[in-house]
Amino acid sequence: MVTTDPTRVMERLDKPAGPRRTSLDDSPGYRVFRVVNTIVLLGVVAVTLYPFVNIVAQSFSSEVYIRTGQVNLVPRGFNLDTYKLVASDPAFWNSYLNTVVYTVTATAISIVLTTIYAYVLSKHRLKGRGLLVGIAVFTMFFNGGLIPNYVLVNGLGLTNTIWAIVLPNAISVFNLLVMKAFFESLPSELEEAAAIDGLNTYGILLRIVLPLSKAVLATMILFYAVANWNSWFQAFLYLDRADLFPVTVYLRNMIAGATSATSVGAVEANAVAISANIKAVTMVLTVLPIVAVYPFIQRYFVSGVMLGAVKQ
Amino acid sequence: MRTKWKRTLLTAVAGSLVVSLAACSEEGGDAGSGVNLDGKKTASMADYKAGTQFKATEPLDVSLLFLDQSHYPMKEDWLLWKEISQRTNITVKPTVVPYSDYDQKRGLLISSGDAPTIISKTYPGQEEPFVSSGAILPVSDYVDLMPNFKDKVEKWKLQPELNTLRQEDGKFYVLPGLHEKVQQDYTLAFRTDELQRLDLQAPKNWDEVYTVLKAIKAAHPDVYPLSDRFEGKSILNIAAQTFGAQAGWGYVKNSIWNEDKQQFEFAGATPEYKQLIEFFGKLVKEGLMDPESFTQKDDAAIQKFASGKSFAISSNAQNIINDYRPNVSKIPGATVAKIPVPAGPKGDVLRGSRLENGLMVSAKLAQSDKFVATMQFIDWLWYADEAQEFTKWGVKGTTYDKDASGKRTLKPEVAFGGMNVGAPKNLQRDFGFQGGVFSYGGPTELVQSMFTEEELAFQKTLANKKQLPLAPPAPLNEEERERAGLWETPLKDLVTQSTLQFILGQRDLSTWDAYVKELEAKGMNDYIELVNTAHKRYKEKNG
Repeated sequence: MVTTDPTRVMERLDKPAGPRRTSLDDSPGYRVFRVVNTIVLLGVVAVTLYPFVNIVAQSFSSEVYIRTGQVNLVPRGFNLDTYKLVASDPAFWNSYLNTVVYTVTATAISIVLTTIYAYVLSKHRLKGRGLLVGIAVFTMFFNGGLIPNYVLVNGLGLTNTIWAIVLPNAISVFNLLVMKAFFESLPSELEEAAAIDGLNTYGILLRIVLPLSKAVLATMILFYAVANWNSWFQAFLYLDRADLFPVTVYLRNMIAGATSATSVGAVEANAVAISANIKAVTMVLTVLPIVAVYPFIQRYFVSGVMLGAVKQ
Repeated sequence: MRTKWKRTLLTAVAGSLVVSLAACSEEGGDAGSGVNLDGKKTASMADYKAGTQFKATEPLDVSLLFLDQSHYPMKEDWLLWKEISQRTNITVKPTVVPYSDYDQKRGLLISSGDAPTIISKTYPGQEEPFVSSGAILPVSDYVDLMPNFKDKVEKWKLQPELNTLRQEDGKFYVLPGLHEKVQQDYTLAFRTDELQRLDLQAPKNWDEVYTVLKAIKAAHPDVYPLSDRFEGKSILNIAAQTFGAQAGWGYVKNSIWNEDKQQFEFAGATPEYKQLIEFFGKLVKEGLMDPESFTQKDDAAIQKFASGKSFAISSNAQNIINDYRPNVSKIPGATVAKIPVPAGPKGDVLRGSRLENGLMVSAKLAQSDKFVATMQFIDWLWYADEAQEFTKWGVKGTTYDKDASGKRTLKPEVAFGGMNVGAPKNLQRDFGFQGGVFSYGGPTELVQSMFTEEELAFQKTLANKKQLPLAPPAPLNEEERERAGLWETPLKDLVTQSTLQFILGQRDLSTWDAYVKELEAKGMNDYIELVNTAHKRYKEKNG
């Protein structure tokens, strides 16, 4: 029997531990998983990107190639005429401008209201806090319904104004709860220190809490802006004048209108289907700003939602 | 206290109204007798009759629910609006609703009590959900205020067709568009160059459709000669009428009128319906008709046709010009044309109504002092010959000219459809004429005045067809409608589903009796009995 060197014993004990840990990463099973995982995810990427690239390709193609099903990922019969045509339509730009105005205003209002509400709810010393949370959550499950809502908005004289778009649903309860959780996760010592240094409640919110909440604010802005940009139903309900319509209503009318004109049958003998390439161009132009903005806000996105999800 | 008093008064007024209306319907006429128009004649014309130019004696505003089409979006500076106010002294205030969700918004506005006075673009049948709410004016009570409407109904003998609109109370609530003659736009289109190459004649009946498709299949064994669009609903619809059945787009209700037996039958279980299914089953089985015809998107069907993978497809006049001709142009020598609507086992017949979509009027108008003037305005704008020409062709001398023979031609700077292609202005987009809200129906001469030579020739082939009798009215009362509603959809779903299975060969036609049993289990007989009872009741009441 050879006496064993304690260090070597240690080594031997250590050794399996090291490779075993790495072998978890390098084991054949894991490698197979990674390959499969990559393939599956690439598949998901392809499935998600294909329709988008296809629409972009259609927007640069000429009508005949689209109708005969020859446009996939690369434009056929490349031309910019459709872009020029859509860009020369004042109604399109007018509704586009409306969308920008509605989105900016609605997002600003939503952020302010949601922040205020969430901040208040995050303070456990607030009396009636449970009730206030309850009121907000109640609206997630129950609402008056379409017609009462319409009667209310109309009764308030909001129809055919921007306010009908930006005021109802200004606070999304889901966003409110995310934000409340985030505020609750901020160490209360920070605020106490600020109070001792002489800041009042508003000062604490504006100078201490909000600067620390950039991540969640960016996330909220993203959520609200995307939702507002894409929304059409409010505008469809409360606006009766074409010059007030956002671009989503314009687009929806173009796509749904054109398809139902041909599929319902004898609806309108003189209905002319809007060309597929015009539809594609309008879709590309409509989605472009959101696609362009997304990557810049997206880096806040993960941290913003995760913050506050777990309490220390 | 005051409100209570008010309520009593209101009840009394409502009560007396019911009595007077009941008295009116007992007389059974559209006379409108018993309707008090005192104090409702502001701005109206005392001597307004058919052929008179309506002009309000003082300026008025009238609100209108306007359906906005994306290919000619509403513009406030349209000549149409200017001319209407100039000619009638009435300014139309449109509530613009996108085409895509028009029905939803119309329902919302009517239900919230906020509907504009004139609710345009309503198809007969679409008014039914609103009848019991009282929000819609029973226009049949007031046709006396509408001399042009009455004139056309009389001249073109439209009363039987109008009767089909009557609700359980004997009144109708929608003012339909009126056609002088039945129009049918949909039929099959064939690749005519291929017919010529194979020395085939355009088929005149459904048996010939079969033989022609068979001949094409023989020449191209690897294709389905017919790959249809509209989910097969158009071809089923036009074929069904000549088989004595109703199917596809025509399958709106589960009941069909049997003229010989003078009663309603269940439409999805008649021997004629079985015969129709058999015919299409044969087409699919022999590879003459693409099984995807009943499920594919229109675009997919057009693609197949445009790339030479099929040789026949359903079509209307516009489809030919917009969808097929430009796209098949890549195939050298390819030509496309509609064939006359094929005849069938029941002969060369045509089923159709001369009523088109029309408008509803808000019941609030009847309380207004502008009631008479507004009804006269509606009568003029939608039913006077002169106005129908105006909303279709525009202003004489500005958008079109008319020669001594009455032939109209668009001004060279105005384009529409295939006319004056490339002209700087468009009759619809830039002037607002020929729009779906105002321009529909009318005398055949006017309706066909913008048709191409090709389409005129097609319409001529319809003229010789025999017109099938219309189903008589069988209006349900509210309770019956609710009961019928419970049966209608499940029955219809079963019919649609089984029809597809039979045609595609997934279910054998020998199981037809079992299929009828399934329908019976879903209440087919109760449903038909309900309809027949309603029909008898209506007949006893209204003759």
